[in-house]
Amino acid sequence: MSSSLGARPAALQVSEEKYSAGLVNDATGLKVSFRGTISTVNPAAVLNPFVDAVHAQLSGANLKDIRVDFTELEFCNSSGFKAFIHWIQRVQALPEAQRYKLRFVSSPARKWQRTSLLALSCYAPGLVEIA
Amino acid sequence: MTTTSNPGGRPIYLMLRMKPPWVFVDEIRRFVESFCACACPGQQREAQVALAVHELMQNAIPQAGGEDVDLTLQVDPVANRIEVAVSNPCSDEQFHDLLARVARLNSEPDALRSYLRAMSEAPSAARGGLGLARVRFEAQLELSVLREGRRVTVLGRGPLDAPQLQAPGGTHV
Repeated sequence: MSSSLGARPAALQVSEEKYSAGLVNDATGLKVSFRGTISTVNPAAVLNPFVDAVHAQLSGANLKDIRVDFTELEFCNSSGFKAFIHWIQRVQALPEAQRYKLRFVSSPARKWQRTSLLALSCYAPGLVEIA
Repeated sequence: MTTTSNPGGRPIYLMLRMKPPWVFVDEIRRFVESFCACACPGQQREAQVALAVHELMQNAIPQAGGEDVDLTLQVDPVANRIEVAVSNPCSDEQFHDLLARVARLNSEPDALRSYLRAMSEAPSAARGGLGLARVRFEAQLELSVLREGRRVTVLGRGPLDAPQLQAPGGTHV
């Protein structure tokens, strides 16, 4: 985490039957955490508004990067994956000086994450890092 | 599931016929991952194959209209091949749409490039448009489409010992 928000952000979270996501500010700093299995028919309908809200919170906060915690994310289907593409596109739409990087924290035990995050890093080489 | 040896590297074959509601796709993915870990130990392919099955099943279920969806998985250690096939009933329009989408993917020899193009082009708020490209790149399976009667089959074929994917510039993941 390269910066922190001056005030603790309002709780931004979504929770569905099989997955949840939230912007949290815990002992390790600010992060966006995804948990569970994103495999519903059209998860972007839930996740895109969440990502938009998180982005609105972060884009004015002068952050250099934000951790995106996948360690408890068992799986994400391609429809859910689009929410992360959507997020990247929102960051790309910012003036360059206001952009922040997405630093994905993955789990070695969840092997699909390696290739999915590789692809995402190729989509936006300057904005996506894999921790 | 227990791990069993496969002396002689005989081909291993699995077929499931389902009328699954959407919620069972996660269970199928977990089963396939476990099955592949047993069928091809040491190849590190189970997560990729499970991802492919998940995506192909999620494409097939809505098209099947409540009828059977078949999953066939073949692992051939001697031939160094793995094949995933998912079939379902579909209309002429659905078949031709699927055929065109796979043909467009395959027209780009570089699977990563076609995946990145799909990321740019697929509408972010609507379902669809990314799964096949994801299977082709992430699962390292070449895709083809067959039709028999009113059923369509999407085939994914690839090597059992697929090379580790690399980012341009050489970073392993």
